[in-house]
Amino acid sequence: MPADAWSLTFTVGKDSPQGARRDEEAGGTQDHPSWGLMAGHSLGRIDDTLLVREAQRGNRAAFEELVRQYDQAVLRLAIHLTGSEHEAQDIYQDAFLKAYKSVGNFRFECSFYTWIYRIVTNLCLDHLRKKQVRKEEAPIATDPDGEAYDVLEQVADGRAGANPERDLMRRELAGRISRALEKLTPRERMVFELKHYHGLKLRTVGEVLHTTEETAKNTLFRANQKLRSALADMR
Amino acid sequence: MKCEWVKDNVLLYVYNELPDDARYELEQHLARCPGCTAELKATRKFHAVLSELPVEEPSPNLLTASRMRLEEALETTQPGGFWRRLAFDPGAWLRQIQLAPALAAVLVILGFAGGIGTSYKLMSNSGNLESLVPRTAPAPSESSITAIRSISQVAGSNTVSIQYDTVSTQQAQGSLNDQRIQQLLLFAARNNYNSGVRMDSVDLLTQHPNDTQVREALIWALRYDSNPGVRLKALDGLVAYVKSDPRVRDALLEALMDDSNLGVRAEALHLLEPVRADSSVRAVLVKLAENDENAYIKSQARSVLAQLPEFD
Repeated sequence: MPADAWSLTFTVGKDSPQGARRDEEAGGTQDHPSWGLMAGHSLGRIDDTLLVREAQRGNRAAFEELVRQYDQAVLRLAIHLTGSEHEAQDIYQDAFLKAYKSVGNFRFECSFYTWIYRIVTNLCLDHLRKKQVRKEEAPIATDPDGEAYDVLEQVADGRAGANPERDLMRRELAGRISRALEKLTPRERMVFELKHYHGLKLRTVGEVLHTTEETAKNTLFRANQKLRSALADMR
Repeated sequence: MKCEWVKDNVLLYVYNELPDDARYELEQHLARCPGCTAELKATRKFHAVLSELPVEEPSPNLLTASRMRLEEALETTQPGGFWRRLAFDPGAWLRQIQLAPALAAVLVILGFAGGIGTSYKLMSNSGNLESLVPRTAPAPSESSITAIRSISQVAGSNTVSIQYDTVSTQQAQGSLNDQRIQQLLLFAARNNYNSGVRMDSVDLLTQHPNDTQVREALIWALRYDSNPGVRLKALDGLVAYVKSDPRVRDALLEALMDDSNLGVRAEALHLLEPVRADSSVRAVLVKLAENDENAYIKSQARSVLAQLPEFD
């Protein structure tokens, strides 16, 4: 096999990667569902840096560990936004493959968390834009009330139970909310989704969308306004 | 006046986005203002409505399925920014290249960018690759490390010892008669990812097709190389042996029947003319003359057959 083998010596100290790793293990893992920021995120940051550097060297196991830290949140976002497990899986796949292919370009100018969310958000925006186009082109059937029929790909409602009437009502409500959300522009929808449904701070939302916190705030206001008028008659 | 400000900010309040001082002021105002309190209530109610489209946790099945699907895709994907950083995954690289045992001692990829760039002085009368001697001892650099062999800590001290392997780009010079050169050419003909390099090596090899190994390499290139230019070059090299070597003739017949490139097929047909009387060649020609999809091949086959004297 290769021609040369070399010996190299250096010292191990408390600032070394080994030291940091031991600290992380003491901090515990996060298996509980989180809202936006992962619990123990500051410790998570040290870990991320090491893992990212390893992933950049081509260490696939390190990349897979990074995936495991974020993929539940990614899937959660994609499922809620698209309303479809199938589409969510596609977004998941595209997002992490894209991340894998461009991890070498990550220069730590933002947190890895933000970087991943950026990739996912862009894919979500693409999805929303495509859906918009399709909606404009497709003929829409309407029910007797003049409301458009919507064949909603149902997100499984874990609370379905003994009261079928209530379930039906709940599904109708969910449908109306979905349709109201579709009235938003892709960006408005995205800001609202990230802030309202996933609890990201407006500052993070701004970073993820490559804009300012102020802009994100104004977009949120607009989205909220549109939704309130679309759902005005709901008790 | 204050109510306006409060109404503008009640949404942010509900989202917990207000800075502490603003939040305090707002709460103070709400305590005294029923109008604004009603607004807060309405906002909170609206948000409750919105949660009728709840965020669901992905089911464990879905998560697992997604992870597995991703892992499959990752196996065939190269991480990016990879080559630019010149980091190296020796496992994946070795899997792509079949090392001929004779060449296992030296890793040379002609045209590979990156590596130490040490040049070796060749021992001119020795064909033994192991006798290559490095001129200078290169300094280790991250870009050329292929594998870490071992890491150990010297007991009771702060010293760590790491053994690692590196790859280096080397250069060999010699005539085509040099066995070493021939071996490298053979290696390159099969294993290089750059078709230009493969073409060059096949080209050089065609100057020595009397060597069985070389002829095998040319046949292999004709059969399996992905680049039609390389396949044509290989045909060139084999032409002299069509009559004498049945393996060459069979390889040409295969190329004539199955090659995806019309130019290669036509050339193979042309080169088979000296042996058109051969029964297996004749059988193929007959079949092509009758059934081939391509009009040119069909007509060429017919005209070659027409030149044959009729038996029986």
